[in-house]
Amino acid sequence: MAKSSLDLLLKGSSGQNTRGLLRIVILLTIAAAAVASRLFSVIRFESIIHEFDPWFNFRATKYLVENGFYSFWDWFDDRTWHPLGRVTGGTLYPGLMVTSGVIYHILRFLTIPVDIRNVCVLLAPGFSGLTALAMYLLTCEMSTSPSAGLLAAAFMGITPGYISRSVAGSYDNEAIAIFLLVFTFYLWIKAVKNGSIMWGALAALFYGYMVSAWGGYVFITNLIPLHVFVLLCMGRYSSRTYIAYTTWYALGTLGSMQIPFVGFLPIRNSDHMAALGVFGLLQLVAFAEFVRGFLPGKQFQKLLTSMVLLTFGLGFAGLVLLTVSGVIAPWSGRFYSLWDTGYAKIHIPIIASVSEHQPTAWPAFFFDLNFLIWLFPAGVFLCFQKLKDEHVFVIIYAVLSSYFAGVMVRLMLTLTPVVCVAAALALSAVLDHFLVLSKPSPESQAKANAVDAKSYQGMKSPIVGIYSHFSKAFVSGSMTLYLLIFVAHCTWVTSNAYSSPSVVLASRAPDGSQMIIDDYREAYYWLRQNTPDNAKIMSWWDYGYQIGGMADRPTLVDNNTWNNTHIATVGKAMSSREEVSYPILRQHDVDYVLVVFGGLLGYSGDDLNKFLWMVRIAEGIWPDEVKERDFFTARGEYRVDEEATPTMKNSLMYKMSYYNYQSLFPSGQAVDRVRGVRLPAESPQLNTLEEAFTSENWIIRIFKVKDLDNLGREHSNAVAFDKGLKRKRASKERALAF
Amino acid sequence: MKPWNTLFLLFSLLSGVIAAKPSADRFQKYQAISRSSPIDLDSAAFEELTTGPRDYYAAVILTAMDSRYGCLMCREFEAEWHLISRSWNKGSKPDGLKVVFGTVDFDQGKSVFQKYMLQTAPVLLMFPPTVGPFAKLEADPARFDFTGPMNADQLYSWISRHLPDGPKPPLVRPVNYMRIVSGITILLGTITLFTVIYPYVLPIIQNRNIWAAISLIAILLFTSGQMFNHIRKVPYVAGNGQGGVSYFAGGFQNQFGLETQIVAAIYAVLSFSTIALAIKVPRMEDAKGQQLAVLIWGGVLFGTYSMLLSVFKFKNGGYPFYLPPF
Repeated sequence: MAKSSLDLLLKGSSGQNTRGLLRIVILLTIAAAAVASRLFSVIRFESIIHEFDPWFNFRATKYLVENGFYSFWDWFDDRTWHPLGRVTGGTLYPGLMVTSGVIYHILRFLTIPVDIRNVCVLLAPGFSGLTALAMYLLTCEMSTSPSAGLLAAAFMGITPGYISRSVAGSYDNEAIAIFLLVFTFYLWIKAVKNGSIMWGALAALFYGYMVSAWGGYVFITNLIPLHVFVLLCMGRYSSRTYIAYTTWYALGTLGSMQIPFVGFLPIRNSDHMAALGVFGLLQLVAFAEFVRGFLPGKQFQKLLTSMVLLTFGLGFAGLVLLTVSGVIAPWSGRFYSLWDTGYAKIHIPIIASVSEHQPTAWPAFFFDLNFLIWLFPAGVFLCFQKLKDEHVFVIIYAVLSSYFAGVMVRLMLTLTPVVCVAAALALSAVLDHFLVLSKPSPESQAKANAVDAKSYQGMKSPIVGIYSHFSKAFVSGSMTLYLLIFVAHCTWVTSNAYSSPSVVLASRAPDGSQMIIDDYREAYYWLRQNTPDNAKIMSWWDYGYQIGGMADRPTLVDNNTWNNTHIATVGKAMSSREEVSYPILRQHDVDYVLVVFGGLLGYSGDDLNKFLWMVRIAEGIWPDEVKERDFFTARGEYRVDEEATPTMKNSLMYKMSYYNYQSLFPSGQAVDRVRGVRLPAESPQLNTLEEAFTSENWIIRIFKVKDLDNLGREHSNAVAFDKGLKRKRASKERALAF
Repeated sequence: MKPWNTLFLLFSLLSGVIAAKPSADRFQKYQAISRSSPIDLDSAAFEELTTGPRDYYAAVILTAMDSRYGCLMCREFEAEWHLISRSWNKGSKPDGLKVVFGTVDFDQGKSVFQKYMLQTAPVLLMFPPTVGPFAKLEADPARFDFTGPMNADQLYSWISRHLPDGPKPPLVRPVNYMRIVSGITILLGTITLFTVIYPYVLPIIQNRNIWAAISLIAILLFTSGQMFNHIRKVPYVAGNGQGGVSYFAGGFQNQFGLETQIVAAIYAVLSFSTIALAIKVPRMEDAKGQQLAVLIWGGVLFGTYSMLLSVFKFKNGGYPFYLPPF
């Protein structure tokens, strides 16, 4: 009875329905797992926005929700980049903020009272669930195997390479961009396969959404034309390709130009020229194909081919000429530095200084992808076996993005989707053979022989199947083991490496209990409570967004880094002597200076460790006044102790970091725990600044810039006078006592 | 203040008269020797050029060209230095602005190195004029230390900053006709060669296996950190301090050249085993042989993965997972 009812469920049309239902249940479970695995930080800490950039996105979203869409579009922000301000509405990718704004309003409309902050915090996990679904659709296009799509969705859901940018609270552009990337690729594959205008238009629509959400859209802009170009080179031109590409290009370009920040870039920038060039080439090829049908002789066809090549060559030369003459902007620096890897270090130190722009060492690949990294080449090989149009796409994507991921840690994010696709293809190919219970019979062999007669290459001999149960158990058992390790690995990595908000730090007390270090928020709230509403805060650009978001005070520079000179000015003020810095501070209306100092706690991401970048960036603008060499001792060491160079000791950054630090220790015992050195016995002396606030663990120190002296003296004189006066008075008192 | 200045001028004039020929003559003389490339100076010539009153700038590079000193930077920069000198001397300059470019090699000018207490080479010294319209009060040379490989543009911009404001001749890299001609020849040759062997090459270009091999090798190289080696210029291997060789760099952010190759090989073995299990094994008709193949490939997969995990555990001390054999 039981058996027959099972049969009823699994066979025939109701069997199909059951499978469909199972599939949906599995996908929903995967999406739930994807969301759940990203909630570590909310459970451990609280529902808080993470890191740096998300704070700006959060602030912009609040502005959008409060002031409405149109004023958001025209937003000029005078509380950043003082005194320049920033045309924020025209210099950001609005997709993220608009998305969460829409979600917020829908939830409000449904009378669900929700705070905009919680929408922002949970946006990334929510979209990662959608990414898993998009991944399922994309992989199903690649393979006939029923398991490949589900495996890919599961991989995508929990692989750390994607989790790293999408934990709860990491409210950044990538949070929605990866979903859009995968989904656009799915629509594109659909369009190429079907040659349908509808799918092409949908691809263009989501491409436009992607453009509005993330600067990484350039990756799609170049990958799709490359796919088409390779197809043309392989002699696989078809009307399907033509329809899909022209639809996508025309609509997608129009769509992308609606974003103010992108504007006319798609027709004026080298990054986008590949798409235009392939568009032109495709028209030529289509025309040639059309004419070819009417031409009789071979000669004409040859002539036609050479005509096409010639026209394409001329067009290419024209593009080069336009680029050289400056009508078309050359490759943008960020993009160019991917090809010429030494470029950024020499010409754009501000890009090279960001840690996520460093090259990737191999442990990072394994850390982020675990066993997918070795399934990945196997999956690409399987694509070569089938090599339909969509497999060509996977191959190109795989090679290109593994190069990019090798050059820049951050681009691991674009590699992750294709790794999941390829790994799922490989693993499903193994499991589909080894998870079949029935033994191969002679008839099925004969049938396979007949069917596979026309297949080629490695597939020459027909598929037979696996004979022994032991083989099946062994392979599927070990694969299950690898999968279990993968899940454990992902959980471990997510919980240990990617779930720290970096605004709030956690460490272990000696007795093993958790210690929360909340210095950042303590200091930002001090600023919010104790300073006037328009007090200008100067800090290194890393903290600009956080000060804007949490302290709500105007800043000089922030993570937007649009004005290198302004950043260099701050760098110069930090790295010069007080006498040089003070006029700079006055000229920029600076009221408070904020530095991050990790010496007491051993927090290595502090300003003294970033100091050389400030010096380098300042040196780029004022090579005569700031010299990197002066910050190194004669033996070329970067030191902060007794033997630090005079330039180092007199720099504002050094003085602010160690001001009064010695008073924490018995005399002569002051130790910097980050750099592991003993400091000079004397505390540095500050003349033009006074200490305003130091957080509990000394991570944040805030100094108030003194006003001009009442008596018109130099600050150093005034301070000396004050000190002298005290000493005099003291001696007088002593004299009186005698 | 003023009397001192005059006194100083008088003194310098006197000493100039005693010590050397008038500076204009000296400038003419060196200009004649140089013929637009930098002048090779020995200690005496260097002294003559840089002491006493002068109405010209003297930019002198101190290098060690001989291969004994192993100064790679000196030799690399030699051509660039010539380029700067030639560009300046051939270009149009503002009136009265005179610059002499010179080179002191360590072999000829040991005393110069001693005088400025130089430990390293190359170093550029830039002596401002002491008389004439561009005279500066302090006659101490400005010094430029080379911290890494430089090109002419960077140094030339540094020199320009130390010269008075105004138009300066641009840095002109000579057109390398040889290179253009050879480039065109090679291009034409390639096209010809290609047309000739096209029928033979076509099957190779269209061979799917070759493209598969290229793609897979590229992927394996990139995912094993080859680009990191290339950008950071990591050592191939390093000693472990006890006379042996350590194959794996300690720490998560470091790696050696050999290490990445080992990792790439591990990945390759793992991928190949997977491919064998997915494609080859199900096509075997012999039941016994298939059993054996499954055991071998499955075993290889298991062992190698276990090794990979142990290597990763070595790199990242706190990593909790492992597989039995290693």
